[in-house]
Amino acid sequence: MISWRSTWSIYTRELMRFLRTAFQSVLAPVLTTSLYFIVFGAAIGGRMPDLGGVDYGAFIIPGLLMLTLLGETTSNSSFGIYMPRFTGTIYELLSAPVGVAETLIGFVGAAMTKSLILATIILLTARLFVDYSIAHPLLAVFYIMLVAAAFSLFGFILGIWADNFEKLGIIPMLFLTPLTFLGGTFYSIDMLPKPWDTIALANPIVYLVSGLRWTFYGSGDVDIWISFSITLGFLAICVGVIAYIFKTGWRLRA
Amino acid sequence: MDPILELSGLSKVYPGGLKALDDVDLTIRKGEIFALLGPNGAGKTTLIGAVCGLVRPSSGTIRAFGHDMARDWRGARSRIGLVPQELSTDMFEPVHRAVSYSRGLFGLAPDKARIEEILRSLSLWDKRDERIMALSGGMKRRVLIAKALAHEPDLLFLDEPTAGVDVELRKGMWAIIDEMRSRGVTIILTTHYIEEAEMMADRVGIINRGRLLMVDEKDAMMARLGRTEAHITLAEPRSSLPPQIARFPVELEESGTSLRYRGGDGTGKGKTEVADLTKALIAAGIDYTGIDTRESSLEDIFVTFLGEEGGAA
Repeated sequence: MISWRSTWSIYTRELMRFLRTAFQSVLAPVLTTSLYFIVFGAAIGGRMPDLGGVDYGAFIIPGLLMLTLLGETTSNSSFGIYMPRFTGTIYELLSAPVGVAETLIGFVGAAMTKSLILATIILLTARLFVDYSIAHPLLAVFYIMLVAAAFSLFGFILGIWADNFEKLGIIPMLFLTPLTFLGGTFYSIDMLPKPWDTIALANPIVYLVSGLRWTFYGSGDVDIWISFSITLGFLAICVGVIAYIFKTGWRLRA
Repeated sequence: MDPILELSGLSKVYPGGLKALDDVDLTIRKGEIFALLGPNGAGKTTLIGAVCGLVRPSSGTIRAFGHDMARDWRGARSRIGLVPQELSTDMFEPVHRAVSYSRGLFGLAPDKARIEEILRSLSLWDKRDERIMALSGGMKRRVLIAKALAHEPDLLFLDEPTAGVDVELRKGMWAIIDEMRSRGVTIILTTHYIEEAEMMADRVGIINRGRLLMVDEKDAMMARLGRTEAHITLAEPRSSLPPQIARFPVELEESGTSLRYRGGDGTGKGKTEVADLTKALIAAGIDYTGIDTRESSLEDIFVTFLGEEGGAA
């Protein structure tokens, strides 16, 4: 049976860790988002046509949101579990009467919460630069939570897999960020010449950006159900990997 | 007494083939202080890790409080505390928050009064709002003890609790351990300081190369393996000893200027025999100018035992 007190302890401690660097954690995405809007929204966006009837400045909001969401959830979650391993404090977690459920809900829940706070900040910052409305707000919130959960789990796996700081940063830096930039953050894949529009579909981030864009404006590069299915599939794979890690104790227990 | 922890056939082979634990059988009784002695790499920390869930045993069973740790680990772990050897804790956290977190992690409701009591008992109350990184090494170790006590464990593992602390702090730590014992906490401690085991332990176990070589009551071990050693400086050098002296376990040393006695059993028998020896020397007309006696310590026993073990291997 799950111990909710244990779960709450892990969750609140992780949030406290976030609050210790709150100024930096909040300021960085506000500044980055503002810069993107200044460069892509005002400077370049003014010369871009509407995309699917959506102003270019508004068009890039879901992409920018996804860019921050994927990076922050992955790094928050991976650091959350990697640091106790690195410093040795994980002994306390491993010797406590807590299992996979408490650990995941605590760590992943905290990473999701941080990401949702950042998503709200980004949307509020975006409002300062462009006018936008969300076609399916509840679905948008649900989808953001789904992506945050999936990538928090992914980050958790990364934090257990990594045995040094270089490995911890290599996946987000070399794979996640480039794939997000190439995943339709600043453009629709319809704008790509052939065969790149088809090749782009091999990039899983395309489905995430497209899915979130659909919840905002009612249209995307791919069908919303494909986006949902891929996100859920990725989440299921991550849960399976983590279940295996806890069952075998891989990189957790000697 | 009731067994609180039972290890049976416990073995651990690390990837690469290192056998850190080799068929260990051990029973810990409720309320005792058990000292696990062994050189570096003997398997002490692996044994603790296996019980506390940090190490996956290769074979064998662990039962704590009647729970099989492989199946009902939650019930058992909630009653076990661990103070690790390394000073591993979030150094940015204030003391009281770190200790409160530990209590919550083990599923207990917040209890400010209990946390205050623990911090006061460890002289940490005045430091409760300070970040752990700002504390001295001894204080940091006390924080780890406070964290381990936060969920009120019945069984506490102390892995080298006084490693790297100065003599004064070490004595303070012994007082803390004594206080925990008086509250009914069963304590298993590993240590390099044999003096520590001699001072604190009810029973002692000697482990080497993953094998538990001996487990016994400390006093019984001292009685069985302890020795009295006396050096008697003779007034005149001698080349031989008369029969009434030779019946004692003695031998001449340093070109016949010194007589060495080695005997007894660690219970005081040796001292009596040395007194009889001095009387016999006077009766035999052998004069002496000085006597130096000492009882062998647990450390002597430990070193001798491991030496014999090494020779036998």
